[in-house]
Amino acid sequence: MTDVALLLQAAADGDESAWSKLVAMYGPRMWAAARALGLGESDAADAVQGAWLRLLENLGRIRNPSGVGAWLATTTRREALLILRKGPMTLPASEAPCEPDPEAAFLEADSVRRLWQFVTQLPEPCRTLLQLVATAAGTQQAAVRLGVPRGSVGPTRARCLQKLRTMFSLEEKVP
Amino acid sequence: MTLDEYLLAALRLGAGHDSVPDHVAAAAKEAYALRVPDAEIAYPVACDATRAVRGDDGQRLVRFAAPGLTVDVEVSVDDGLIDLAGQVTPPLGLGGHVDVRTMQLTLRREVAPDGHFTATGLPPGWFSLKCHRPGEAPVVTAWIRIRA
Repeated sequence: MTDVALLLQAAADGDESAWSKLVAMYGPRMWAAARALGLGESDAADAVQGAWLRLLENLGRIRNPSGVGAWLATTTRREALLILRKGPMTLPASEAPCEPDPEAAFLEADSVRRLWQFVTQLPEPCRTLLQLVATAAGTQQAAVRLGVPRGSVGPTRARCLQKLRTMFSLEEKVP
Repeated sequence: MTLDEYLLAALRLGAGHDSVPDHVAAAAKEAYALRVPDAEIAYPVACDATRAVRGDDGQRLVRFAAPGLTVDVEVSVDDGLIDLAGQVTPPLGLGGHVDVRTMQLTLRREVAPDGHFTATGLPPGWFSLKCHRPGEAPVVTAWIRIRA
């Protein structure tokens, strides 16, 4: 069994310290997943807590322990999207634990490191823009720093992320 | 778009400028105390009643179903606090009761012979009901989030 599988099993069997280790391991990517959707601190906290409660419900039912990080990030994102709908109640979307989004793999430590390497290789304005949006600077601040109209930040960001994706997928294909 | 949001999340994670607040990590750790080993889970299901009361202000009634047990819960908000009125079907029998569970507190509620129970003045946030059935495994509802 992998370390994660052992931790999940221990947590399912009543070992609180195993649960705390899971929280330390995966909490940061869950927080990032919620905040990347634009949630404020209070709503992001609720989305992350919701995802932990879903894991708690399903502790004995995780079929792929090595994918639990992606599952938690995906579940956080779904809870965050439900919170953004502003209804009086948010109910779980489905009975079975959802399948993780493939894109959640970007949140693995190795992918995060390589993405940042690519960012430093990007031409301007992409390099500065992505550094700004990753450090929680607002659109207005990014526009001022880059000397561009505010309305162009969103489309430029989309183009820069596209470039980043291309670099990432090109590298994936190199053995 | 999903992919861009995950990329942004990955960049934010790597930048390390917005780390998890301590209270968020603490709440996640404390959630473990709410684990109920061997419980049956009751999930929300659609029914005529929940559709009928889904007005402009959104859903206020939710039905949870597990094998052999249904829990209907009506939610209302009073002065920023949450009131719940529920019915367990079939009734839980002698000695049966419901725990209304939130992140801050758990309230034990006796269930009337006809299956009704209420809980009032609760803080908004995450909720789950734990139904204790004498001689059987407890049923817990999936967690739902209620806004004031």
